[in-house]
Amino acid sequence: MKTTGEAWKVHAFVDDELDLASRLAIEQRMETDTALRQQVESLQALRDATREHAERHAVPDDLRERMTAMLRATRREAPAPAAAPVPQPARAPGRYAWAHAIERWLAWRPLVASTAFVTMVAVGVNVAMLQASNTDKLMDEAIGSHVRSTVGEHLVDVASSDHHTVKPFLSAKLGFSPPVRELALPGSVFVGGRIDYLGGRPVAALVYRQGQHLVNAFVWPDSGGDSRPSFASERGFLIAHWSQGGMRHCVISDLNREEFNRLVEAVRVAAAS
Amino acid sequence: MGEDEEWRRFEVLAMPHLDAAYNLARWLTHDAHDAQDVVQEALLRAMRYIGGLRLESARPWLLQIVRHTCYSWLKENRPAQQVSLDDPDDAWRELPAPSANEPPALAIREADRRQINEAIAALPAPYREVFVLRELEDLSYNDIARIAEIPIGTVMSRLARARGLMRTSLAPGRPALRTVTRSAQGGVNA
Repeated sequence: MKTTGEAWKVHAFVDDELDLASRLAIEQRMETDTALRQQVESLQALRDATREHAERHAVPDDLRERMTAMLRATRREAPAPAAAPVPQPARAPGRYAWAHAIERWLAWRPLVASTAFVTMVAVGVNVAMLQASNTDKLMDEAIGSHVRSTVGEHLVDVASSDHHTVKPFLSAKLGFSPPVRELALPGSVFVGGRIDYLGGRPVAALVYRQGQHLVNAFVWPDSGGDSRPSFASERGFLIAHWSQGGMRHCVISDLNREEFNRLVEAVRVAAAS
Repeated sequence: MGEDEEWRRFEVLAMPHLDAAYNLARWLTHDAHDAQDVVQEALLRAMRYIGGLRLESARPWLLQIVRHTCYSWLKENRPAQQVSLDDPDDAWRELPAPSANEPPALAIREADRRQINEAIAALPAPYREVFVLRELEDLSYNDIARIAEIPIGTVMSRLARARGLMRTSLAPGRPALRTVTRSAQGGVNA
């Protein structure tokens, strides 16, 4: 086997870990260098075969239940949480917005009020405490909402892979009609939709599953013109937001960058159709 | 922060990664029952170290604890399986380029479920963990370096070797399961 000082770059290229300049340099070399192209293809083939076939062992239900019960038992020993004030005096306006959102949520959804209230207080407290000082408040709320939905307590209001079922439900509850479509993307599953709140307004949250990852696509009316997506990476999540067809879109997931870009493109195509 | 808030923080931030925790433990111990023991023990440990838990890094944080727990569990219960590699931190600079006789992309794409899983299981533990973290958990080099407590260069060299071993065991005409573990250990420091 010959040794090269650059073999690591091929791996880093396939793993999407190269900076843009090195990435472009490899792409350019691949056009003429057959051996390099074969190396990349071989690595991509291994990656794809692994992702398709390798066993992802899910935690057995009884262990999950045991662990959750253990946590809850520990929690009950501590003082009651419901009345705990948010320990962040500097965040008074945010606190008001949250309180407002919770109030409206409770008015809307009495049936899930108890779990929703506890979850929202919990996530609100956590997001407030963990918030980096200069991040966009809306992005923070989107992350909080995404995390909350993936914790498993309230992922969708209407679970259906059929957009003809989901769209009328959301339109009736929201007073606007969000574009609801399955994505033309391999491995993408439309899970359903729910009503959520971002920035104090009700929004549609469309939930997709891409492989092991959950995706929340938030949509609400927007009076501005169309814009290209802006991408941000916050606390391990990727977020894209843009305006299209009189709607503001905000997509969030923990997919890798490459898959996330493809996903955002698919959402844009779906919203345009 | 009150104690109760810490538990809720744990539930919201760490519990979503329970599947990842179990998957890593399962691949490292090769056994469903052992993996359950390890995950339970790891969560108990994690609750003691809850101060280090942050939203942006909850998954690597938990997986690092799971990995630690795995190795101390294996040391106690399976001392014969201990493997340690002392590859130099700059091994990634001298990675061998793939040689001419390795399987073409097409042959790898045709590998089936059993072949892939057996090939991963046959990797020596230090290669298996970086491979599982990268390809199954989709973690960045940075996160893997943190979880496995090795420099990023070592992440890259181990990942490259793991892939080399995978491609060798998936080569057509070979028995699907070679004793890669044995032969690879001899060649690691070469």
